[in-house]
Amino acid sequence: MKPAPFAYERPRDLTAALSLLGETAASAKVIAGGQSLGPMLNLRLAAPELIVDISALAELKQAEHHGDELVLGACVTHADIEDGRVSDLTRGAMQGIAANIAYRAVRNRGTIGGSLSHADPAADWVSGLAAMGARLTLRSRGGTRIVNVEDFIVGALESVLRLGEIVETIHIPARSPSAHWGYVKSCRRTGEFAHAIGAVLIDPNAGKARVVIGAIEAAPIVLKDPLELFGGHIASDYKDRFDARVADAILVKAGVSNAAQRHIHVSVLRRAIREAAA
Amino acid sequence: MSMVALTVNERAVEALAEPRTSLADFVRDKLDLTGTHLGCEHGICGACTVLVDGVPARSCITYAVACEGAEVTTIEGLDEDEITAELRAAFTREHALQCGYCTPGMLVSARDLVLRLPQADEKQIRIGLSGNLCRCTGYVGIVRAVGSVIEQRRGRGISPERDGGRNVLGPVGSGHGSQAGTEPAAQLQPPIAQVAHEAADSVTSIPAFTPANVFEQHFEVAHPPGRVFAMLDDIAVVAACLPGVSLLGSPRPDRVEGEIRVRIGPIAAVFRGAARIEREAAEMSGRIVGIGTDQRSRSSTQGEIRYRLERLDGGGTRVSLSIGYTLKGMLAQVGRTGLVRDLAGRLIAEFAGNLDRHLSGEALPVTHATTADLNGLSLFFGLLRTRMGRWLARASRHDRGAAG
Repeated sequence: MKPAPFAYERPRDLTAALSLLGETAASAKVIAGGQSLGPMLNLRLAAPELIVDISALAELKQAEHHGDELVLGACVTHADIEDGRVSDLTRGAMQGIAANIAYRAVRNRGTIGGSLSHADPAADWVSGLAAMGARLTLRSRGGTRIVNVEDFIVGALESVLRLGEIVETIHIPARSPSAHWGYVKSCRRTGEFAHAIGAVLIDPNAGKARVVIGAIEAAPIVLKDPLELFGGHIASDYKDRFDARVADAILVKAGVSNAAQRHIHVSVLRRAIREAAA
Repeated sequence: MSMVALTVNERAVEALAEPRTSLADFVRDKLDLTGTHLGCEHGICGACTVLVDGVPARSCITYAVACEGAEVTTIEGLDEDEITAELRAAFTREHALQCGYCTPGMLVSARDLVLRLPQADEKQIRIGLSGNLCRCTGYVGIVRAVGSVIEQRRGRGISPERDGGRNVLGPVGSGHGSQAGTEPAAQLQPPIAQVAHEAADSVTSIPAFTPANVFEQHFEVAHPPGRVFAMLDDIAVVAACLPGVSLLGSPRPDRVEGEIRVRIGPIAAVFRGAARIEREAAEMSGRIVGIGTDQRSRSSTQGEIRYRLERLDGGGTRVSLSIGYTLKGMLAQVGRTGLVRDLAGRLIAEFAGNLDRHLSGEALPVTHATTADLNGLSLFFGLLRTRMGRWLARASRHDRGAAG
């Protein structure tokens, strides 16, 4: 239960960190709060030669408004969001997710960028931010690129991050005044990774929605305009129009072959929709 | 080793530590502050919870070197703390400890709840303490004790502090130290080849077994079943089509030895072992059953792949697979079957593509980055591989919520 030996670097600034990662990428792992990587190191499931600690980089611990979106640095913690130390343009949606991640002692060190980079399909931000339509800036010493959260994760623990590249910032769009939000997860034990996640952003005035069925052990299902879930159109009665059979068919198509698991996912999604409508 | 300087219980301390030394081991082994307990050592049980920069953190998955310049408070540093004193009295009154092992971490988490919770709501207290496990299961007394202290303090007009006193962004403990670096760690894990040989030697027989997990997959190739079936009999070809797989020694019809390198996220494993192959030519079906171990994670797996070929309209072949496996050891502790399935799906897609290319007479890609890098599953596909192979494996993960 002790990690294999590794070398440790705490670079002075982001440029130095990216340059170091660019040179040693293959054998290096980036650590921020270490709440996902730490357990793997201790269990020796991961044994990198070098750990590059980015948790001290001031550039990654900022939060600011850019027009209609909030831009969070990758090293902002779940507790920072839970406590309102960063401002919120989602009318509580971000706080609601953050406050129910793992345990307080974990939230005090675990970071939003680290959780995304770890790419666990059952983690909260993966599904929650996809439903919000958030984007990520990825940065390497070669430059930056922007990806949508739903395009970031490609499978269990696999993201589009390239060697030497890190998540730099998370861009969260403001929630429009007419948009409803619902987020529900199913855990058998408080604080554990979810077995099912339903995340919905529904704007009945605009007739639009984003629906995410997450924690399916693969990249989440992100439905960007799921009219079929609501009998063909989205209006103020969307809660009553939710069609569980359509949701079940979507899960079948995504390869969730176990009927009991599909039932849990559909039930959790229904609850999220009810929460949004409440 | 590097010199780590931080403040522990209001005292400036400096000690040499390896980068891999956790904050818990640092305070226990370097400073003799053994009140901090270690239970699971991977962030689940909460026994090691201490205050870092004034708020709770897991000292088992926080490395001391990352806390350069931070302020750490262990249970020993809370002797004079007002809230902790009240909690101790309440724990005594409510019989809130039995063996006492979880108590230091429990008190640190309880203190944080007393600070932050607006009122003594039992559900909120239980949720707040869910990250601290008590094996004596004395939760009723603990929850009562914490609730009584919250109630008394609110009754005395002491307001909650929602943020527990934290007012800067980022992981607690970070940001106090300047740039730092250590010498490259000298010897890391032993070379994989060496490890693998020991493992293979120990595989003498492949016992019958009932898999703990079974799932189905299928793929299609544009070649007739007869050719595909013949190819699946050529172990070397099958191995070449499976990412991460290599054969050892000379395969015999009934036994193949080899290894599969699996990577999923930060996890890398090399399962080495043997497989037995059975074929039913009349039914165009077969079974590969194998056993293997990964020395580094001290994990073992047994698995089987059953395959059946069917002719498709148009002359192609549908290959149906039933994959069953049992995983034991460290990997099993952190793994979930669904992650294996996802990896298996990606691996099978790659295998199917390679098989198709081979049947069409095209060269196989020499190294495919994805493959080499991907597959936890490879293991499993490993199975496939040896005749397709050998067996499978799995993958990953660990703890709770979203972590990061």
